[in-house]
Amino acid sequence: MDLAARATSFSRRGLGRLLFCPLICALLLCLGCAACSPGADDDPVLRVDLSRRQETVAPTSKAGITYAYLPQYSHTTSYKRHHLLVEYLAKATGLPLRQVFPNTFDEHMKMVAQGDIDISFSNPFAYIKLSEQGARCFARSLEASGRPEFRGQIICRSDNRAIKTLADCRGKRWIAVDPHSAGGFLFALGHFYDLGLKRRDFAEIAFAPGPGGKQENVVLAVLAGKYDFGSIREGTLDVLKGRIDQDQIRILARTASYPGWLFAARKGLDPGVVEKIAQAMFALSAVNPEHAAILEAAGLKSIIPARDQDFDPVRGLVRKLGLD
Amino acid sequence: MRLISRLKFQTKISVGTFLIVVAVALMTAVPVSRMASRAIIEESRGRGLALAENFSLRLADAMLTQDLLRMKTMADELTAVGDDIVYAFVLDESGDVLAHTFKKGFPVELKAANVANGKGARIQLLDTGAGLVYDYAVPVVISDRRFGTARLGLSRSRAEAEVGRLLLTFGGLSVAAMAAALLLSSIFARRVARRINLLKEYAQEVVRGNLDIETASTLKKNCWEIMDCGRTHCPAYGRPRHRCWHMHGTLCPDCAPADSQGRKACERCPVFRENAGDEIQDLSETFGIMAMTLKRQIGALGQQQQLMRTILDATPDLVCLLDAEGRYLAVNRAFAVFLDQSEEQIIGRAESEIFPQDQAAKRQADTRAILASGRGGQAEVSVPTPQGQRWFHEVNVPVRDPAGNVLGVLKTARDVTEVKQIEEKLLQAQKMESLGKLAGGVAHEINTPLGIILGYAQLLQDDVPEGGQVREDLRIIERQAKVCRKIVADLLGFSRQHESSMGEMDVNESIREVASLVRHTFNLEKVAIELDLDGELPAITGDREKMGQVWMNLLNNARDAMPGGGAIRVLSRRRGPEGGLAVSVADSGTGISPEHLGKVFDPFFSTKGVGEGTGLGLSVSFGIVQNHGGTIEVESPAPPEFRPTWTDGAAGVGGPGTVFHVLLPQRLAPRLAPPGPDTRETAQPQTTQQEKATA
Repeated sequence: MDLAARATSFSRRGLGRLLFCPLICALLLCLGCAACSPGADDDPVLRVDLSRRQETVAPTSKAGITYAYLPQYSHTTSYKRHHLLVEYLAKATGLPLRQVFPNTFDEHMKMVAQGDIDISFSNPFAYIKLSEQGARCFARSLEASGRPEFRGQIICRSDNRAIKTLADCRGKRWIAVDPHSAGGFLFALGHFYDLGLKRRDFAEIAFAPGPGGKQENVVLAVLAGKYDFGSIREGTLDVLKGRIDQDQIRILARTASYPGWLFAARKGLDPGVVEKIAQAMFALSAVNPEHAAILEAAGLKSIIPARDQDFDPVRGLVRKLGLD
Repeated sequence: MRLISRLKFQTKISVGTFLIVVAVALMTAVPVSRMASRAIIEESRGRGLALAENFSLRLADAMLTQDLLRMKTMADELTAVGDDIVYAFVLDESGDVLAHTFKKGFPVELKAANVANGKGARIQLLDTGAGLVYDYAVPVVISDRRFGTARLGLSRSRAEAEVGRLLLTFGGLSVAAMAAALLLSSIFARRVARRINLLKEYAQEVVRGNLDIETASTLKKNCWEIMDCGRTHCPAYGRPRHRCWHMHGTLCPDCAPADSQGRKACERCPVFRENAGDEIQDLSETFGIMAMTLKRQIGALGQQQQLMRTILDATPDLVCLLDAEGRYLAVNRAFAVFLDQSEEQIIGRAESEIFPQDQAAKRQADTRAILASGRGGQAEVSVPTPQGQRWFHEVNVPVRDPAGNVLGVLKTARDVTEVKQIEEKLLQAQKMESLGKLAGGVAHEINTPLGIILGYAQLLQDDVPEGGQVREDLRIIERQAKVCRKIVADLLGFSRQHESSMGEMDVNESIREVASLVRHTFNLEKVAIELDLDGELPAITGDREKMGQVWMNLLNNARDAMPGGGAIRVLSRRRGPEGGLAVSVADSGTGISPEHLGKVFDPFFSTKGVGEGTGLGLSVSFGIVQNHGGTIEVESPAPPEFRPTWTDGAAGVGGPGTVFHVLLPQRLAPRLAPPGPDTRETAQPQTTQQEKATA
């Protein structure tokens, strides 16, 4: 085929292909895409008539023995720590025991006083208040350290050069857990008192916002530099392990030890019920794997019997600080 | 297809580009839109899931405290935050509604429309009649205990509206791109087509024969300016429309050597990088170079053709080319003149139409034989012409194509008539030379004994008394011996073996002397002598006595040719720039017959009766003239310009007459100096002499 013939042939056939091939390819591709693409249209559709309405009624609260954990942590943390214990006690005693969640220390006090909380797990400072309303302790916890006492801690940021000793806290801003918190405020206040520092010697004493998670909030507020130092109960930093850089927190001092957290029954609760519950608590043994899991979740070593006079050192501290 | 092939190139490019853009737009827009739609839907779906899970997590504390207000607040916040959140509500572990965002009651069917089993979320697409809604059911779980379910409704119709807006944007952009493509492709096609049309116009100009086209544009900077070479003799210098990389023989020292196929490697040259255009520009420039080369080649071809034509026409040979059918393809001017026809009359005709029948038959037979055998031939043939019989040397050769097939016959014929005559005269000259040698040898040998005979005959006369018979016999012996001695002397003169005394002499004067000597005697015999001498004749170097003998012999010879009387005309003329002279002696006698014309200078040749002459006069004259470096020629009948004009008292003036021409050089060449005959030296003058003798 000579050049001219080839050129003509290209002009006719080549150009035709040139023009139509892309179109055909494009159409095929589009059809292919449309056919092959798995889309959201594959979701099955359920027909629902929203026009049919009815008014809802909130379920009524269940009756039974109520158990509450003084809200030093968030409700979820409180639940996670104590729901196993509550379930154990309900099962062991056969009582309809359930956990309730007051939002604040004050609400907790009020609910105990009103009878909405039958069994209260609270710190000794709160108990001093509760005992004044007629509540009586029947058991106390052994801390994870194995001792029945616990301490408070005074912390600041590691890079805070203005505070090297407790004396440097004078004129500084202090954040505490709650005015009713033992480890998170009272013990530290007593510790400063013994060093000659009164409440007025601090630029500010603030309390962590609630509800719940107040111990953690103190640590976070100090870490954020919002306050110069803070006071927490011993063991709070372990709760935050993995969530904050522990090296950024410096422990300035540890307070004196005071009796630990306790279980108290409200005024007027059937003593038989209290006894059943106390016995079930005392029956918890760390050697029993099932019990060990309950105690570990609650952050307790074990539960031992308690008397009201076991908490007199705390009452002395309250008096010393003029909080009574 | 036929319609497409008829479209203009510009339209083809525009339409083609547009269709390609449409195809690409379709190929990209459809899947991209679909993928984007899916991405938007999926993103919306994922966002709803994130919101629902977050809702579930935030509900934990409120669920523990059974804080219905907090739950309601969180649900309301969700619907307030996202306008695509249709509803949110909370179910407790029993499936009772704790909080919801609906007004005027809770939809009965909605609670069971999506149930999350286990701890993971579940998504259900609901058709509410007002639109599609993704319903998310996320369990509220604390420490592995399920406290309830968070439910969230996310409008899919809103996401689809977003998809619709996106598709609309895509569609708008695609249409805009197509419009832009159509516009740009039209502009591009117009530009390309304009340049191609320009090339087409150039090609049409070339077809029309105009090769003076300039297809390339001028440059901002030419190669000699970029390289600053100053090489004005470079073929690229001063030609702004010709690119140096298309030209051969450029003198740029930085030019990379061409590869094995003659292409230059100019990619790295700054001139090429500065000035190289695209393929169409390259084609245009190449086209210009092609036209220029074509013009040069055509010019050279025309020049060659003209040269060949000139050569063919200038050659005196008759040249013709015949095709395989025996018809003339080409003839030269000599051939046409020979046939007395124009070339146009001859071309295309057969030999039988050109030549007389007898010649044509032979020529055609020769042609056919050459075409058949493929072998040429040559021959000398005599052809009758209006000017008489002519001799031709014919050479006929076959013309072959590259494959060796015989395509035709090339015939050349050279007129060798004069050559043949010269050959005859050369033979005559050689004969004369041989005769001269023979005669000279014989005369030399005879001369001595003849002298002794003459001497003794004279001595013996003194010994015998006067008047006696013996003495009378001795006188006879003496007289005949003298006759013999005269003959011997003439023979020696003919053979140029006699002594001569060369000197400056006046030829006119010599002629006048001899004429005055014989004029009276000739008058008695009614022979008039007419002298027509050139007064400006130069003096020559010669033997005055010998030359006088020549004039005497020629005059006697003329007189003898006019036994009844007549006139003799002697002319002397200066010859040409070479400085020689010519003396012609013409008579009005009976003339010399052609068969005798070649023999008149032979020794002892005479047409006179016995005892009337020795036949040595012209031979002696021949020898003397040759001895002077000249030639002697004879013409008969005498040309009119030489014939005698005097007729007073002269008889027999009506004869054809004869004229002898003596041609003498002004100065005797040393190589022609006597004595002794030299065949080679005399050959050329004799040739000239013989040409006229046979005319």
